[in-house]
Amino acid sequence: MKRRVFVRGRGAITPLGETWPASRDALAEGRSAVAPVQHFDVEGYPSQVAATVPFPLGAWGLRSDKPSYAPKPPLDEAEDRRLALARRAADEAWAEARVSAAPSRIGVFVGAESGRATYRTIFALSRAAGGGARFDHARFGEDARALATAVHAAAVSPAAVASALAARIGAEGPVETISLACASGAAAIVSATQAIRLGLCDVALAGGVGADVDPFMLVGFGLLGALSARGVSCPFDLRRDGFVVGEGAAFVVLAAERGDARAEVAGAARTLDAFHLTAPDQAGDGAERAMRGALDDAGRVAIGYVQAHGTSTQLNDAVEAAAIRRTLGDALPNVHVGAVKGAVGHWVAGAGAIGFLCALEAVEGGICLPTAGLTEPDPACVLPHVVGAAKRKPVEAALVNAFAFGGANTSLVVSRCA
Amino acid sequence: MRLDGKGLPVIAVSTLTAAGLAGRGLAQRVLEKSLPRPSELAPPAPSRPEDIRQKKLMSRAAWFSALVMRGALEEARWDEARAEIGAFFGVGASGAEMDEVARLVAASMEDGQFSLARCGREGLDACNPLFAFQIMNNFTLCHGAILEGLAGPNAAFFSRGTGTVTALEEACAAIMSGACERALVGGADTALHPVTMAELEREGFLRQGLTPAEGAAALAITSTAEAPLGYVEAVRVFPVERPRGTLVPRTGVLRDAAVPAALDALEDQPCDVVVLAPWGAPAREALLDLPQVLEAELSVDTSLTLGESLAATPALAWAVTLDLLAHLDKPRALVLSAGPDGDLGVVVLAKGGA
Repeated sequence: MKRRVFVRGRGAITPLGETWPASRDALAEGRSAVAPVQHFDVEGYPSQVAATVPFPLGAWGLRSDKPSYAPKPPLDEAEDRRLALARRAADEAWAEARVSAAPSRIGVFVGAESGRATYRTIFALSRAAGGGARFDHARFGEDARALATAVHAAAVSPAAVASALAARIGAEGPVETISLACASGAAAIVSATQAIRLGLCDVALAGGVGADVDPFMLVGFGLLGALSARGVSCPFDLRRDGFVVGEGAAFVVLAAERGDARAEVAGAARTLDAFHLTAPDQAGDGAERAMRGALDDAGRVAIGYVQAHGTSTQLNDAVEAAAIRRTLGDALPNVHVGAVKGAVGHWVAGAGAIGFLCALEAVEGGICLPTAGLTEPDPACVLPHVVGAAKRKPVEAALVNAFAFGGANTSLVVSRCA
Repeated sequence: MRLDGKGLPVIAVSTLTAAGLAGRGLAQRVLEKSLPRPSELAPPAPSRPEDIRQKKLMSRAAWFSALVMRGALEEARWDEARAEIGAFFGVGASGAEMDEVARLVAASMEDGQFSLARCGREGLDACNPLFAFQIMNNFTLCHGAILEGLAGPNAAFFSRGTGTVTALEEACAAIMSGACERALVGGADTALHPVTMAELEREGFLRQGLTPAEGAAALAITSTAEAPLGYVEAVRVFPVERPRGTLVPRTGVLRDAAVPAALDALEDQPCDVVVLAPWGAPAREALLDLPQVLEAELSVDTSLTLGESLAATPALAWAVTLDLLAHLDKPRALVLSAGPDGDLGVVVLAKGGA
């Protein structure tokens, strides 16, 4: 008999809202936060729009009133943006949960990739290595050590977010950082679920954060052809031509004790495509196996809402739509499908976590959030899409997808507590 | 996590160290202290894939990981139904080739200053446009999985030690729950990447005896096997309290945590061999008394000979341990890794055979 895993708290900071309720209300109206990048010069970049969090972010217990993109102190002394975003979302989730457990029984599970060293750091490191087009390892060894004290390396580490959150809430149980690219946030919720089921902890703070609106990622994704040249994120739409980079953080508190929880994590699965690093398997086999695995794990549940990965890229959306149709089969007419990236962009490591909150909202509040940007569904992506504003209906269970570069697929089922 | 019965069988091991790519035999060289000093590796073929686009996406750690995955699969003779095999790895963040970064920066200079506008105009053309993907940590897992066709349950955990132990814990859980019957588990990383070196220097690890190295190891574990190399009997991560704002616990705190962690994992069973993987001098000092407390006949410190390869270190220690048990004909060993993330990873391994 599996231990049940209840959802006790939720929190998010998104480009549309400082809290989850504020974000949800904006999402329900079908609003989008995609706008021209303002905080660095994007002239010549393959994409010049993003969904950025416009709200002031208090630093980690230090500053609380600086604008989010205030002038930076020298090198990397400024707080890692992932930490600031994660703290806000985690605080909200933790406050709502009102859980109590021994510190050793509280775990933290975070989906995160590396933070980004600033250009000043990269520049300094490069100069220490000779400053030429070739990296001079010998010179670096001699000169760069002195720079080490100026590199805010602990913040750049992927694990910095989980460690900092654990310290903040006093967690002394498992502290894990799951790095599965765009599936990281959802995969972290899977790991937290498994840890509670296995009895490794009783309470878990789980979620993900992405803060990738920076030159490196715009360059990397842009030159790969993954970003929208039109500057519009419109998952499953006929005119979709790529995704838009976004940022934000989303967390949930999971617990073995029900408390006043209205929803639980009923099923979870992770698979690999084993196909290609940047393209999905066109057969959609890995995605379908992840969904079927999560549904099998959940047992008998009636899915009423799917929060799709929905990147707004040509191939991914078509492959995912076909996989959803095959997986849900005859149950499809009873389902509504939404994808949050049209509204808040693609958060990469945080994407699966905000998707989970959207699915949770359907189950807890009966609000099926829409796919912003979707106005003319592609015939290749035929699904019962939620277009325009949110639909309201009772939902017994919802399915969440998160599919990653590298071919890692994660699906979760969240259901109403019996 | 204590595993039922004899534990989960390990049927194959593959390692990549300064001694090269190997299945077994590493233990003897560790005992003899005949291994080359930890250094930058020059792995043998099969090396990076022929596909130039894939090659450009592949960091050194991904390359190492792919090599040991292939080695473990070959030794396990897992040629069929590979899509059902799980893959759980501890991975590092030692990413982009510095040559790529240096080229981009050099082309982006204007009047001695870095120019974002010039970066957009000319810097981007100067570097591998796909280099950003080298820094995605999961690619250390996914390259190998794609090359070898592994499509089962999976996870990549960022690791400076215990993330790799968590990977083993999740792999065991996946097999015990029936999510898969076979899985590769291990770690691959390099501590020699310039940014990682700078990070280790900043945090004081290098001054305290951490020997940076690179390497990888993969174990093939399964639900049943007739004559395995060994068994995983228990695996657990023990978080250790540390002063606020520091990465590692004080030596005394680590020492006080190590003994109960080891006894908890062993559950009153005798332990003949203790294998330690401490990141440097303070961690080594903290674990000094452990073999005596456990009344072990033999104690081996793998970090002294193999260096510290971060996400790879615990997996290399497991590989050495399985080899030791077979080589010395001892029934059980405790492997305790204390990486620069500050926590303890404890794994109990038992000798295999018929």
